[in-house]
This record gives sequence, C-alpha cells and structure tokens, in this order.
Amino acid sequence: MSMQTRAIHSIRRYAFHIALFCFLLGPVAALLLYAGSVRWFYPAILPNEWTPQPFLRQIGNPRTRDAIGASLTIAGITTVLALLIGLPAARTLGLRRFRGRQLVLLLLFLPNVVPPVATGMGLNILFLRLGWAGSYLGVILVHLIPVLPYTIFALLGVFARYDEGYEQQARTLGATWPTVFWRVVLPLAGPGIAVAALFAFLVSWSQYVLTLLIGGGRVITLPLLLFAAVAGGNPASIAVLALIFAAPPLLAIALAARALTDRERVVVQQY
Amino acid sequence: MRNPSLRIWLTLAPALLVTGVLFGASVFYAVAQSLGYLSIIGETRLSFAAYGNVINQATVAGRELWAALGFSLWVSGAATLLSATGALILAATLSGSATPPRRSTLLALNANLALPHLVWAIALLLLFSQSGLLARIAAALGLIDLPAEFPVLVRDRYGIGIIVHYVSKEIPFLALIVLAILRTQGNTYTAVAATLGAGPWVRLRRVTLPLVLPGLAAGALLVFAFIFSAYEVPALLGVSYPRALAVLALDYFLNPDLSRRAEGMAISLIMALVVVGVAGLGRVFGERE
Amino acid sequence: MPLPLRARIAALVLTLLIVLAACGAQPAATPAQSAATSDEAVPVTNALDLANWDSVVAAARGQTVNWYIWGGSESINRFVDDFYGVPLREQYGITLNRVPLADTVDAVNQVLSEKEAGVDPGAVDVIWINGENFLSLKQAEMLYPDWSRELPNAQYVDWDNPAIYLDFGEPVLGLESPWSSAQFQFIYDSARMEADELPRSYAELLEWAKANPGRFTYIAPGPGAFQGTRFVKGALFELSGGADQWLSFDQALWDEHAPQLWAYLNELKPYLWRAGETYPADENELHSLFANSEVDFSITQAIAGAGPLISEGLVPETARAFVFDDYMIGDFNYLAIAKNAPNKAAALVLANLILEPELQAAQILPENGFGLGYAIDVTRVTDAAQLAALNAAQAQLGAAATPAEDLAQSLVGDSAGEYQSLVEAGWRENVLIGE
Repeated sequence: MSMQTRAIHSIRRYAFHIALFCFLLGPVAALLLYAGSVRWFYPAILPNEWTPQPFLRQIGNPRTRDAIGASLTIAGITTVLALLIGLPAARTLGLRRFRGRQLVLLLLFLPNVVPPVATGMGLNILFLRLGWAGSYLGVILVHLIPVLPYTIFALLGVFARYDEGYEQQARTLGATWPTVFWRVVLPLAGPGIAVAALFAFLVSWSQYVLTLLIGGGRVITLPLLLFAAVAGGNPASIAVLALIFAAPPLLAIALAARALTDRERVVVQQY
Repeated sequence: MRNPSLRIWLTLAPALLVTGVLFGASVFYAVAQSLGYLSIIGETRLSFAAYGNVINQATVAGRELWAALGFSLWVSGAATLLSATGALILAATLSGSATPPRRSTLLALNANLALPHLVWAIALLLLFSQSGLLARIAAALGLIDLPAEFPVLVRDRYGIGIIVHYVSKEIPFLALIVLAILRTQGNTYTAVAATLGAGPWVRLRRVTLPLVLPGLAAGALLVFAFIFSAYEVPALLGVSYPRALAVLALDYFLNPDLSRRAEGMAISLIMALVVVGVAGLGRVFGERE
Repeated sequence: MPLPLRARIAALVLTLLIVLAACGAQPAATPAQSAATSDEAVPVTNALDLANWDSVVAAARGQTVNWYIWGGSESINRFVDDFYGVPLREQYGITLNRVPLADTVDAVNQVLSEKEAGVDPGAVDVIWINGENFLSLKQAEMLYPDWSRELPNAQYVDWDNPAIYLDFGEPVLGLESPWSSAQFQFIYDSARMEADELPRSYAELLEWAKANPGRFTYIAPGPGAFQGTRFVKGALFELSGGADQWLSFDQALWDEHAPQLWAYLNELKPYLWRAGETYPADENELHSLFANSEVDFSITQAIAGAGPLISEGLVPETARAFVFDDYMIGDFNYLAIAKNAPNKAAALVLANLILEPELQAAQILPENGFGLGYAIDVTRVTDAAQLAALNAAQAQLGAAATPAEDLAQSLVGDSAGEYQSLVEAGWRENVLIGE
C-alpha cells in the first residue's frame, strides 16, 4: 500500500468516525447552545449573550431539586427491588431447563411488548382504590412492570455462561450460602449484575407515561418536569432541564465503560 | 430444598407474582373500563359500545382511529426497516476493517443509547425545526430567507421527524447487537470471503446478513413494538392530525368528558393487540426458519 | 410428596388466577358503596363558620394548602410562590404546596378518581379552574359549596356581573371565587409591522392572510388549549353577527351557523402557516413560532399584553398586543375547593388573600410575571392607598399592553359551556381532518 493510498484511507476513516460521532451525539450540542441563551431567535445563528442564568435558575428552583430527588429515589429503589426479585429468577432460567420454562419466559416478556399507555391506564383506577396512586410506592410498583423483565433478560445473559460448578465446590468445602454468594457468585457475575442494574436504573429513570398515569401529578419526576417545561415554551429552561435529565445516564455509561466495551456482551435494552 | 422442581418455582415465584399480578390486574382493569365499566359516572353495565364507536367511526375518536393506526404502522414500520438496514451497514463497516471497533466508538454508541428519548426528541426539535439551528445556518449561508423555505423535518404530516428520531436512536441499539454477534462468530467468515475475492457488497449480503439475521430480526421486532407503543416522541414531534395511536388513546383517556375514557381504553387495547399480534407472528416466522 | 409437574403448574396458575380475581373482585364490589358514602354519609364539613372569619383563620394555622395549578409558565409559578406563598407563611402560618400541572384536567381527574375510589380526605385543596373543568366537577358534585360569596374580601367582587356569576354560561353559585380576568388578544412585532397594517376583524384577517400566505396560524382548539377555541368562537360571533345570542345554549342556533364557521376557517386554511396541515398545540408553541419569525401574530390572554412574555424571554422586546374592533372574548378565572379537600380552612384563607386589593394590583404588573387582570371591581375599594395602588398599576402596564379603551370596546363574554366541546370536536372533524 503506497503512502498516498494509506493517507487517503486514514482520512476516510477519520471522516467516517467524525460523521458517526456527529450522528450519535451531535444533537446534544444544540442543547448546550440553548442552555446558555436568552431571547435567542431566528435568524441569529448564535445567542447574542451567554448567561448561566437559566442553569442557575433551575438549580436554585426547589421544584427541580425535588424532582431530581424523586427521580433518583424511585429509580434507585426500583433497581434494588428488580435485582432482588430478578436475580433468583434469572439464575434459575439461565441454568435450568424445565417444563414450563418457555411459558415463564413468555409471561416475563409480555409486559415488554404491551404499550405502557395501556398498562398505566389499566392500573390507574386500581391504584387509586388501593391508595397507591400519587405515592412513591405506586410509582415504584408500576415501574417494576417494564424494569423487571429487562433486568431478568439482562441477567439471563450473565447466567447463560455461568459455571455452577464453583458454587458446588465451595458448598462441598463447607461454605455457607452467604459466603458462597459473596465469595463466588458476586466475583463471577458481579460485572454482569452491575450492567443489569445500570439498565434497570435507566429504564426507570426515563419513564414518563407510567409515572404520569400513576403519580397523579403528585409524584413529580424529572421527565414530568421536562414535559411541562416543553409546554412552557422557554427554550433555555427546556435545554437546561434536558441536560440535567441526561446527565446521570451519561455518567453511568462512562462509569460502566469498561464493562460495556471490554466484554463481548450487549444488554438488550430499550426504554 | 430437596425437591429441585419446587426450588425452581420458588425462585421464580417473586418475579412471576410481581409481573403476573400487576400486569394481570392492569389487563383486567383495562378490559373492564373499555367495556364501559366506569363507576365514576355510575355506568356499571358492560357493553362493546366503545369498541363499536371507535371501529365504526361513530365518534371523533373513531374517525381518527384508522388514520392513527395507519400512521403508527407506517412510522414504526419505516423506522424499524431503516434502523435495521442502517445498523447492518454500520456494524459491517465497523467490523469490516482489520482492527476491531475502537472503544471510543463503542462508547459513543452506548452513550447515544443511554440518552433518554425525551432528551433526544427535544434536541432534534431545537435542531431541525423551521427556525431551528440548521435553518439558521441555512439562512446565514443565504440558502433560505424565511423559515418557511426550510424543509419541514419535524412536526410534519408524514411523521418524518418521528422516523428520524427513532432511526438515530435505534441504529446504535441494533448495531450493538449485530456487532456482538459478529465479534463472537463472524469475523473469520468475512475474512475468508474477502480472501476468496468477495467484494464488500457480496460479503454483506452473502456472509454477514445470514449470520446476523436471527438476532437482528429479534431486535427489530422489539424496536417495532417499542416505537408502535411510544407516547412521548410522537407527542413531541408529531402533528395535530394524524396522531399516533398512543397519543390518541391517552388524549381520550384524560379527556374531562368521562364517557370518552372507555374509548381511550378501547384504543389502547386495540394498540396492545396489534403489538402482541405482530410479536407473535414474528416468533412464529422466527421459529419456522 | 412430589406432585406431578403438570399438576403443580396448574396449581400455580390457579393461585395466580385467584389472586387476580381477588384483586379484581374486591374493588368491583365497592363502587355502589363508595358512591353512597360520598353522596350521603360524608356530610359537607360545616365545622368552619364563615361568618366568624377569625375562627377560619385560626383553624387554618399550621395547615398546608395543596394548590393544583397549571404549571406551564415559570413566571406564574414564581409569582404564586412569592406573592401568595410568602404572606401565607408569614401572616397566617400556612404552608403553600403548589402542585404544578401540565393541564388542569389532571387535577379534575384526580378529584373524580378520588370520588370513584371513595377517598376522603383527598389530595387536592384548591384548583385554579374555569369553564369545562368547573362544569365537570360541578356536575360530579365534588366542589365545596356556598363559600365564595361569604369571604370577607367578596365585598370587592361585583357578584352582579354576569361575566363573574356565570362561568362559560354555568352559574358559579358559591362554588368558586374569582382570581383574575383575561381577554383574548393578538400580539404583533412592532419591528416587523406598523400598527395601521393590522387586521381589525376576522374578515380583514382573511384578506390579510391571503395577501401574506403562511404568515398566520392559530392554536388548535381542544382541551387545554382554550385560546384556540376562543379564536374560533370569536369568528363564530362575527359571522353570526352578535355574541349575546350565544350566552345560552341553543342547538338550532349552532346548527344554523356552524357551517358558516367551518366554511370561513376552511377558506382561511390554505393561507395558514404550513397551509393548515398542522397547528400549534398551545400558546407557547405559537409564541415560539412568532418569536422566530415563522408567523407574524401570536395570541395572549394577559391584560398586560406582551409584557409578561417579554420579561420571560419568550418574545422579542418589540412585541405589542392588539385587538380586533369587536368580539374579543374576556372572562374570569377562579379558585375552587374540592369537596374532599383535607385543608379547607387554609384553602379559604388563600382564596380570600388573593382578593386583597394590594395583591390584585400586583398581579396585573408584567414585571411580577402574572399579568392577568383584576377580579375585583376597583370602584368598590374605598381605602385611598389601596385605590391608588390599583390605579397606578393600571397606568404602569406600558406599551406592550393593549390600550384599556380598546380592550373595553371589543370585550364580549364567552358563550355557554355546551358550545365548548361542539366547537372543539367540530373543528377537529370539519377543519383539521376535513374531507
């Protein structure tokens, strides 16, 4: 390969990657521009002044802070519950072949395809009667409907290539179950569990329709606030809230970077 | 714990109970309400009136139902096909070169996935609207004078904006699935084919596609179901008419005129039936292959 | 004693079904009871004696009032927190919990669902309300009755004015107390147009649109977008030659004039922004189109005109409000208290506080962020200082507001509530969807 063709080749490679990055993350730049603007109208190509005002206003607003807290609490508790419930199920489904396994998988898969609009509407009245509507409890429970299946399917991949032999050896050597869990299961499946937890968190974090229908306007999470801001029409406020809403997922991805790129694994994730 | 079978069901019980009870109850209540069981307004007789109204176009909701169904099918179908094609080409390109895809590329794909749909839709709105950033750049370059001269890319009648949204969010999703399959089994085949003189297009069609098709199809099915059911993005990037099914259903469900609730519920169940039906068909075809 | 596997699965499925059936059956049996309890067994709490206002104030101390209020405008949110939240806390020992809603319908649904579920006390104390939402709750008998005319500050309200005692044609009785007034107006940009180029009637608007295709649009009428409904109703008034005939509901009158209305709007449609294939969903989307020069007019309800929008940064500083010569619908908006409100005393104190002349003067000023008009009749205020504050505020509205005499000249009342859904559904069917 001559120097010239190699140069052309690498230029093409770079161009391709730059285009890809623009496609994947470029629109976020629009949010950054709007977040620091005030009264920025067509045809001005850049804001005539940059100001931290919209950002400070949102951070200083107790509503926004409450919504951040509500979102973190709900997504956090939902994740823990999904792991507690999902781990034993995923382990069994991953390691055992038994009659009815397909049926169980189907039942767990079904909430994934039924529209959240339908699920939320159905539970709206029931939760009101039970007094769960408008409470964290109700919202967390309803979040479990989409989160639990995702968690289980993500964990299935972990246990599909998990060797139970290590556990049996430890048991034969006299280790108790908690010891086996801490010393054998976690080291073997830990990274996979972490990624499953991450996606459980993201699925709950991004819920809008279910929170709206069950939260009854009293549980205000960030996506609800963001939707209200869109109706409010102030582009700077919208952009700031959108960035605040996007920050934890991006941070989580950065933290999980190693697990996501080193392992040959894709967690089937949608929300 | 002697009985292995009992242990299996004990470990599954919490998950099955949570999913079964919550999901089952929601289906039960949805069906009851769509049949007009609404004690708020003292209506406790069951009837298929709501279904009749929406299917026979007897009410405004009904007049919109078929348009909404067509719109939702078009948007989710087109977006799914484009995403699958784009993901296949992207993954083949990324894994085609001798070196494996860089970490930064994989990370960017994952970061795009992690961005909530709501955030992405807002960003596209600010970017693509007729007075958005791109329009301003076009105006600065002298390509357009008035915003109206800029092409309608979001909030358009044909759902282009919604399709653009989902294509740009689902390509990374499907591409990661394809990349994973290729990384575990694909590269050698492609390399062999290349040594035997197959061009990139032939390699894609004859080697890569058959290899990844089952995984890609399963992923595409999920994507279709997801787009078809989605509310937020069509609500933000759609037009007043035609609206997506989910938008129509929620609008009627939240209508202050309570007799509309049953119609909203009926629409959302029709929507659920379509998705479950498509997913079921997909499974049947998948197993036949 | 292992059962055969199939039997065990059957048992499991059966258990699931029983649980489901139990979940389903238990509430299914209750509606009759809950309806009975909420209608009879729960008496309206008459522990509060409105004639003895000090006892109400004393009962309210320490309560938290849950105010369900449309939260789409940040400036209104701030106004509420600063001008009502602070005095409630400092003067009355009441905590204001402002619950922001995307749409007031959400609060209505909350109360109706609570009625359905027999929840008392509920979650909602006060709702900012009018029109169809008021009608829904009134029909459901979920509003706390007989209080609004008994408030000490009700003396400032002109309860003989039909625009106040009728809410979209529906008698208010004692079910809600006015907060502010609003009137439909247009906004233009004085940097783009001269005042003498402005259309001054629906007929002139059609001519203007034909001469400037794509430069006008209005908000899609529908629940939560009453400004759009109001634009259409104004056209109906002009086409039918009068607003007063629409004050009471008359199906024959509607059937007679509706075709004219759809014909007018369909004639306008091809000259609208995006040729009428879509419409802005709410006021703010229209403001954004206007601010970015996509269209030349926006719509507002604020007595302060474009002022609040300018200070919020939504429209250019050169934006100005104007009205047609006639048929600009004005109305009052209200506070209502839910029948199952947990903190009725605090709710009453809030509704009374809002009518204080000083706060009424503050609410019309654009810099305070609310910008809607008075609910009280200025001539009923006798205190000289209060009167001066009210008049000064009116004089301060500035250039971005429509001149007061233009507003007064073009003012008409809204039509009977029944027309609301006829207009909204009919518009979707005949104009938006069309052929």
